[in-house]
Amino acid sequence: MSDVKTEAVTVSVINQLPDASIQGQSPLFHADLATIAKSGPKTGGVTLKEEALLGHLTLRMNPENADQLKAAEKVLGVALPTQPLTSASKGDVVVRWISPDEWLITVPGLKAFEVETAFQKEMKGHFQVVNVSGGQTIVKLSGKYAQYVIKKSSPIDIHPSEFPVGKVVTSVFAKSSAIIRRSGENEFELVIRRSFSDYLWLWLQDASREYGLVIEA
Amino acid sequence: MSQKNRLQSGGRIDRSKPLTFTYNGKQLEGFAGDTLASALLANGVDLVGRSFKYSRPRGIVAAGAEEPNAIMQLGATEATQVPNVRATQQELFSGLVAGSTNGWPNVEMDLMGLVGKIGGKMMPPGFYYKTFMYPQSMWETYEKVIRQAAGLGRSPKEYDPDIYDKMNQHCDVMVVGAGPAGLMAALTAARGGARVIIADEQNEFGGSLLSSKETVDGKAAAAWVASVTKELEANENVLVLPRSTVNGYHDHNFLTIHQRMTEHLADRAPNGQVRARYHRVRAKWVVLATGAHERPLVFANNDVPGVMLAGAVSTYINRYGVVPGNELVLMTTNDNAYRTALDWHDAGRKVQAIVDTRKNPTGPLVEAARERGITVMAGSAVIDVQGSKRVSGVSVASISEDGSKVTGSVKKLSADTVASSGGWSPVVHLSCHTGSRPQWNDEIIGFVPGATVQKQLTAGAINGNFTTSGALEQGKQAGADALEKLGLKAADVAVPATVEIKESKPMALFHIPHTKPTSQAPKQFVDYQNDVTASGIELACREGFESIEHVKRYTAMGFGTDQGKLGNINGMAIAAKFLNQSIPETGTTIFRPNYTPITFGAIAGRDCKELFDPERYTAMHKWHLEHGAKFEDVGQWKRPWYFPKAGESMQEALNRECLATRESVGILDASTLGKIDIQGKDAREFLGRVYSNAWAKLPVGKCRYGLMLKEDGMVFDDGVTSCLGENHFLMTTTSGGAATVLTWLELYHQTEWPELEVYFTSVTDHWSTMTISGPNSRKLLEELTDADVSKEGFPYMDWKPMTVAGVPARVFRISFTGELSFEINVQANYGLHVWEKLFEHGAKYDLTPYGTETMHILRAEKGFIIAGQDTDGSVHPYDLGMGWAVSMNKPFSFIGKRGMKREDCVRSDRKQLVGLKTIDPNIVLPEGAQGVFDPTAPIPMPMVGHVTSSYWSANLGRSIAMGFVKGGLDKMGEKVYYPLVDGRIVEAEICSPIFLDPKGERQNV
Repeated sequence: MSDVKTEAVTVSVINQLPDASIQGQSPLFHADLATIAKSGPKTGGVTLKEEALLGHLTLRMNPENADQLKAAEKVLGVALPTQPLTSASKGDVVVRWISPDEWLITVPGLKAFEVETAFQKEMKGHFQVVNVSGGQTIVKLSGKYAQYVIKKSSPIDIHPSEFPVGKVVTSVFAKSSAIIRRSGENEFELVIRRSFSDYLWLWLQDASREYGLVIEA
Repeated sequence: MSQKNRLQSGGRIDRSKPLTFTYNGKQLEGFAGDTLASALLANGVDLVGRSFKYSRPRGIVAAGAEEPNAIMQLGATEATQVPNVRATQQELFSGLVAGSTNGWPNVEMDLMGLVGKIGGKMMPPGFYYKTFMYPQSMWETYEKVIRQAAGLGRSPKEYDPDIYDKMNQHCDVMVVGAGPAGLMAALTAARGGARVIIADEQNEFGGSLLSSKETVDGKAAAAWVASVTKELEANENVLVLPRSTVNGYHDHNFLTIHQRMTEHLADRAPNGQVRARYHRVRAKWVVLATGAHERPLVFANNDVPGVMLAGAVSTYINRYGVVPGNELVLMTTNDNAYRTALDWHDAGRKVQAIVDTRKNPTGPLVEAARERGITVMAGSAVIDVQGSKRVSGVSVASISEDGSKVTGSVKKLSADTVASSGGWSPVVHLSCHTGSRPQWNDEIIGFVPGATVQKQLTAGAINGNFTTSGALEQGKQAGADALEKLGLKAADVAVPATVEIKESKPMALFHIPHTKPTSQAPKQFVDYQNDVTASGIELACREGFESIEHVKRYTAMGFGTDQGKLGNINGMAIAAKFLNQSIPETGTTIFRPNYTPITFGAIAGRDCKELFDPERYTAMHKWHLEHGAKFEDVGQWKRPWYFPKAGESMQEALNRECLATRESVGILDASTLGKIDIQGKDAREFLGRVYSNAWAKLPVGKCRYGLMLKEDGMVFDDGVTSCLGENHFLMTTTSGGAATVLTWLELYHQTEWPELEVYFTSVTDHWSTMTISGPNSRKLLEELTDADVSKEGFPYMDWKPMTVAGVPARVFRISFTGELSFEINVQANYGLHVWEKLFEHGAKYDLTPYGTETMHILRAEKGFIIAGQDTDGSVHPYDLGMGWAVSMNKPFSFIGKRGMKREDCVRSDRKQLVGLKTIDPNIVLPEGAQGVFDPTAPIPMPMVGHVTSSYWSANLGRSIAMGFVKGGLDKMGEKVYYPLVDGRIVEAEICSPIFLDPKGERQNV
């Protein structure tokens, strides 16, 4: 626990994680996907996997500030995507363009504080990094029919010509919202909010039922 | 063979697959490939319903979406009832149960028939307006009788066991209709590399080709259709949608399609399949290839069962192998319909005569009829029909060259079937949906699509190009045009060869004359479904309705499920003739979505039951469920309302929760509070502008309550904001206001003060928030943290980072109960862990979970407001007695400052929030009750304000309330009276809203 002071701003950054003896409970913890994965079907048209307990950081800054872009790249090891609706990734770091001055960075859960702190150290001027790891989770949909589940849920066009691998949109998803990224030809990552996760879990089960849903732990 | 009208061979039905179905309680048989209508006709069923107004027997007229009479109630069980299904569009399946919807109590023996015959006379056009407007109070009675008589279908009384869903689609080219034009358009676009969707309402692609004997590319038309369909299906960029009606064409090339997935298979969708799917399509280009509907002619008694559209008769013969009668009389204004007589003759049944309204019909089709020995009566018309439940004969007479009057003597012919054709009307409905007005085209005697602002192309019969070769050619052209506009390269597609039969000029005739004037002639029906007659339209015109839109509404023409597909053009023509003007001068009414009725299930999709509205849960929701919480909806959040123990009433539970909190310690899941992380060097300045109070001097480590106002000075949200760092704040908002507040901050930042360096990010879901409140809360917290949480080490309105139950936390010493309180915030992935640890250690203090209701009571005891309950957008801080939360001395203004100073806002007699103590302490005032100063004043009494919050306070042993009273802040100790709906008048004393611990000693310990 430490307060990090930088020249221009003083912000409170705390390591929010307890030691490993305390188990984190992701937003879909209650669904007990591990048990379903064991007992449920092993083949089907859609596979669902929760990428639980990752570090999620929201970054707000000026995309025209070259120094800040440089600092971000230094911290993340990958340049921020400044082209709208794109993403960049390297290793286990994924950066999603959210809006002209906002990105969502995901890193392994244990690295969130380290990355947050590094931003405070490396970046100067006006910016914001906020740890939002507790408030959202990633659901990965894959398989031949994953695209149909997306089409039932969101009005965006996901044809590969319009939605290539790496593209990101924030859009309505059923009656909630999701940050949708195509992570493979037949693979989509949905960043969903904690409070809506049970609703979306019900929705996704329902929407994929006709194709056969496989849960992966 | 029980199917007396079925041919031994021919058609697209499978005679090896007989299907049994039930119609009006009777078991009948049809074949796979039949529609319900073709199967009924095969079985010689003449009667399918009774008419709306006159209760006249009606039979099947058409073979497609335009059918006005065969409107069925489907469903083998109560739960699977589907009303108003057109028998012509329902594929037959084994076990189908259908009944006619019109006809009460049954079609064969209709009681309403008698009533109808009398009622009909009393029901001229405009009868709703004329008869039933007065007395208005009687309308509900009239309506019930009319509804039943009108024979609209009924909805099921049980839950629909099937599921329906929606799918979003995108394409380069949306082709509507899979006849020759649509298929060519789709083929061309697809070969050029476009993403294509092609939808057709029928079970098979092919459109007009399905009931035609033509050849395409030297082979049977069906073979060409099959090869094109196969190519389209194999193309992964093409979505092929049979049984899919494009029902709506909306702005920006947004189209809605109703796809029937299992309605051709069974009463209930098999294996839980989706019964119907609603596609929401965004198309870059749209090709309308919707074809044309044949126009019947209007003549006396033209509604007797057995009177049909010529093209429909051909369809039944050629596609379904059904000849719907024995003796045919065909009346036509054109060559095209001669095919029907040829088909009938070739099927081995008798054609009594072709009655052609033209003086000198010539051409290959006319010759073909004469070669077969069929009598062609030129310059004549069927002016009347005999028969009641089936045609028994017709009256034929020669007519004048313009078709306006009967010129010769009347001759009677025996017949059981009359086919009529007045030409073809392009299906312009979808084009109209976008606001485009159709244009009259004299050449084809019909309306064609008018100018459009949509990226829309048209091909085939919709343009009045009624030949197969023309449709194929135009389809190819539309596909090529779309490719060019999309910037795709041209495709290599050849227009297949067809054999053209030359047709001579048709005659523009809509209304067949009778020997008597229209008003005295037997009824000549224009709109079957609404019983609108030619004389009714003339009457409407005579009564002064000259606009076609008014005529439509006065007569109800085009109001039914068929939406005027059959009758509208004839009706307009009759009105035009009567008004002595041309059809273009008269104009047309505009068609609106939907093209055909859609089942409500498809519109609802999966947004029903548990998926109807998202339920938002906190990280502790599972615990709440396990501990018997009753929930309250706060926005979409499910918040614990109270936690009853076994056998406890709600009030008993609340009393227990309130007392436990004040006497020991209670705990509230406050995770739903909106939370916004604010950073930037101007964050503090920004707060000063959006809150009414001062923020300049709030030190790091401190918390402050703030009121947020709209520009008009009225309170819209409130909450505590804490200074986390010099340039770092955490704002809290009401649970329901979180999204609104964040939007509000972004709006002001982006539009008014972009120069301020500040960023906002929602962290509502990130932090789990639990409040422990009560005299023992400190002892409990001390057990779970090493941090100094003493009065001196951690004073009121401070926050501190610390570890609670092993989890890093931010703890805020703020209080909404007036008790010693700690608000613990941990990352939500650890919320339940900390919550459970608190209970492990809290047992000895009788740690009591409480919900929103106890929270409301505890805060009301302290006079704390709830934005949205004690405020309603019309009260400013001074009205609330919260002038202490306004700083008029800030260097920069704040939102609402000027609004509050308006003349009306500074009146002394504004409604102001005060405490209310009932004189009888046991009476709890109802929230919303209106107060008066003088209960003896005559009604209407001047009202002085309403009760906003009212509870039983177990801590105080009496009722407490807050409410608005005019000038209330200056009326302490005075009385106000609440006359209730039950007649009681409750007397209350105006007091301070702070009922408990006015000095705040309990929270400052």
